Amino acid sequence: MKQNADNIKIFNILGTRRIWYGISITLVVASVVVWAMYGFNLGIDFTGGSLLQVKYETTDPSIGAPEADVITQQVLDSGVTEAVVQPSDETTVIIKTPFLENEQRQAVLDVLSASVDGKVIEESFESIGPTIGQELRSKAVTALIMVVIAIIIYVAIAFRKISKGPVPSWAYGVSAIIALMHDIIITVGIFIVLGHFYGVQINVMFITALLTILGFSVNDTIVVFDRIREGLRRSKQTDFEGVINESINFTMMRSLNTSITTLIVLTALLLFGGESIRYFIVALIIGITVGTYSSIFIASPLLLLWQKLLKR
Amino acid sequence: MTTRQKLWISMAGILVLTALAGVVDYPNGPDIIWRGNMVRELKVHLGLDLQGGASLVYEADLSNIEAGQEEEAMAGVRDVLERRVNAFGVSEPLVQTNRSGESYRVLVELPGITDINRAVQEIGETPLLEFKTEGPAELTDEQRDIINNLNQSAQDQAQEALDRALSGEDFAALATELSQDTVSAANGGDLGYFESGQMVPEFETAAFGAEPGTIVPEVIETEFGYHVIKVDDKTTGKLSELNEESAEDTIAEITDDATDVTEATEDESSDVATEEVNEEADAELEVEAVRASHILIQKVPEDNSIFGPNYVNTDLTGKQLQHADVEFDSQTNTPIVSLQFDAEGATLFEDMTRENEGKTIAIYLDNEPISTPVVNQTITGGQAVIEGGFDIEEAKTLARRLNAGALPVDINLVNQRNVGPTLGAEAIQHSVVAGIFGLIILVIYMIAYYRLPGVVAVIALGIYGLVLLAIFKLWPITLSLSGIAGFILSLGIAVDANVLIFERFKEELRNGKSLTAAVEDGFKRAWLSIRDSNVSSLITCLILIWFGTSVIKGFAVTLAIGIILSMFSAITITRNILKIMPVRDTRWFGIKR
Repeated sequence: MKQNADNIKIFNILGTRRIWYGISITLVVASVVVWAMYGFNLGIDFTGGSLLQVKYETTDPSIGAPEADVITQQVLDSGVTEAVVQPSDETTVIIKTPFLENEQRQAVLDVLSASVDGKVIEESFESIGPTIGQELRSKAVTALIMVVIAIIIYVAIAFRKISKGPVPSWAYGVSAIIALMHDIIITVGIFIVLGHFYGVQINVMFITALLTILGFSVNDTIVVFDRIREGLRRSKQTDFEGVINESINFTMMRSLNTSITTLIVLTALLLFGGESIRYFIVALIIGITVGTYSSIFIASPLLLLWQKLLKR
Repeated sequence: MTTRQKLWISMAGILVLTALAGVVDYPNGPDIIWRGNMVRELKVHLGLDLQGGASLVYEADLSNIEAGQEEEAMAGVRDVLERRVNAFGVSEPLVQTNRSGESYRVLVELPGITDINRAVQEIGETPLLEFKTEGPAELTDEQRDIINNLNQSAQDQAQEALDRALSGEDFAALATELSQDTVSAANGGDLGYFESGQMVPEFETAAFGAEPGTIVPEVIETEFGYHVIKVDDKTTGKLSELNEESAEDTIAEITDDATDVTEATEDESSDVATEEVNEEADAELEVEAVRASHILIQKVPEDNSIFGPNYVNTDLTGKQLQHADVEFDSQTNTPIVSLQFDAEGATLFEDMTRENEGKTIAIYLDNEPISTPVVNQTITGGQAVIEGGFDIEEAKTLARRLNAGALPVDINLVNQRNVGPTLGAEAIQHSVVAGIFGLIILVIYMIAYYRLPGVVAVIALGIYGLVLLAIFKLWPITLSLSGIAGFILSLGIAVDANVLIFERFKEELRNGKSLTAAVEDGFKRAWLSIRDSNVSSLITCLILIWFGTSVIKGFAVTLAIGIILSMFSAITITRNILKIMPVRDTRWFGIKR
């Protein structure tokens, strides 16, 4: 793809904004609907409980881990009240149980080991007491709220000087936040679906991904707004719509390139990065994609909407 | 100084920085030496998820600690845990106390530990050493319940035996099988002849009240327990003579079914017994006597004899312990653990031994009595020994645990995270592969799209990577899996800064500016965007660090450092290289004029 001074193509993004609004509203509504239908599939980070990942090293390598049902029964036999077994690959399974004391964990391992010809190796174990789960939950909510507030304040400060423009400076902040909520809601919506059908859990890592997406999304939006701010001062375009459209077009390649380069490394991590951070990466990929889309197609067109609303 | 000179100077600065970073990054490179003797090893610190290990969070139970003393108690917990953890010999253990709302917690990280179970056991299980003295002998309600239950079941057993006897089973066989009076049980429950006054009243009344040859139709309770009684004979005569006869009867009975060996020994002993009895027999009066057999099911006396003394806590605990050692008992040569108390402990121990002379004191470890020596005399000087019947290993472990100190409060494991070493190694391998692939595609993309500036960006990125790694080593920052994710993500951000600059730079070029002017203006314009956008990411990182479980902290810290460094890299390195380049043809920058 080559560009030069003479043949820069200007896409009329604002002209088609109704389509983008339509897509976004559909996705946001769909996310709220799946949330109402399925709810969150919260991980042990927030509910308390234990996750035990074991690898079966059987003497006969052609035999992998036993069936999930068999393992579930064995775990229940060892005195644990509840167990969900999820095979990870041929030889590895992840067992989710209520909070286990160290002795109980040992008991489970002993029972599993006794049942096979070979060894059962504890690859990882995580146990979170109910109080910690409760605490992490409230901490996660606080962190989300804090990030949103911090970003509102930051955007308001960063754009305080464009009070002379067609829209007041707070409109930039509010638009950025709307775009941001849009990104978060859609990402969460996709994870609710993943959680319902594939057992993907909402855990601390997911919240981390969400917060990172918040940072990135607003980052993208700010770059576009920055450009609009500059465009208002020096662009040959006379109307607000023209300035916005030009600014989006000038920053679009930057937004896309940034997202593409970030997505390149994320995809590499997804493909080769191993099991434990897989869904963290998935969340980031979704969030950054949605964030880039919203900074181009939602955040800036919203400014125009403000202008029209405020004129009345 | 001309601008050109300034440029070269900053260029030289960048090169020096790169070289320094390279030296720091070099594997097994030099270590930092401070003032000649303080050496700090330079290496990448790997987190638990990468090298395996255990992360344990304990919550302290401070319910017994006075308000305002919590911090001090927690400091005590940390000291003790540190000492215990150091005994494991893992390279970089971490013990950290923190407060979360009302709860006080200790985080213990043991990277690279292999025997997690032992670690959890030795850290968490408080070697709670307590010295207790005999308290009042009254039974507690709980103990009374235990006794009542035991006795009820004894009574039931006796009733069952009675039922069986009444239903016609052979009494002697029953007695042999069931009776807990082992002496008479050997004789089929036979007690021989006895006169009035020889037996406890309840037994006597029942025995004398029954017809010979019958079984007393109820279970008789005495101080010994529950008896099923069969009266064999009632007669008048000299007791010794009567018993001589009965003994012969018994022997005759036994001989019938006993083996040869038993026969021989029984014969011998009863001969001796018979002779002795004969010598005294002449002086005896004739009395009314009863010969009876019984089945006894013993009961538990209603005192604390089965529980031992009720030990009560004293002020002397592991807290006043100064030192514990393994020694050997001079007589039995078994291992013992000797204790040396501090001044306060010595006084307490002296008082305790003075007040309890002749009684026992109990030494409890983890709420179990391990030794209950009798106090022979007042002990001054604050020395004591525990004879717990240990083997040498147990004694050593106990002494070590005691030396590590008792915890001032109880702690409970509320969060545990173990990672096996293989998983960690796999994670590193995966991440390295992911990083390399990501980088290669990134480099191809940047050069294909941006041409020469793409190459410049790649060089800047390379320097960025070297410096970042050097910072990780120098700080040092523990690199976890999430940290690697943060690192790789920050590569994307570093590229972003370059992309912003290049897009602006190209725009300026298209607008017909000269190269130098385009670089300068491009940077000026792009800087605002870079700054504004990165500040919002940094705010997020700061909140994430605060949110901080260690996993998230690792991610946020590496990302934050990456963001700051990427700004530096874009502004300084990329700009300098672009400006210094001798290329003047804009086609190198993907622009046709």
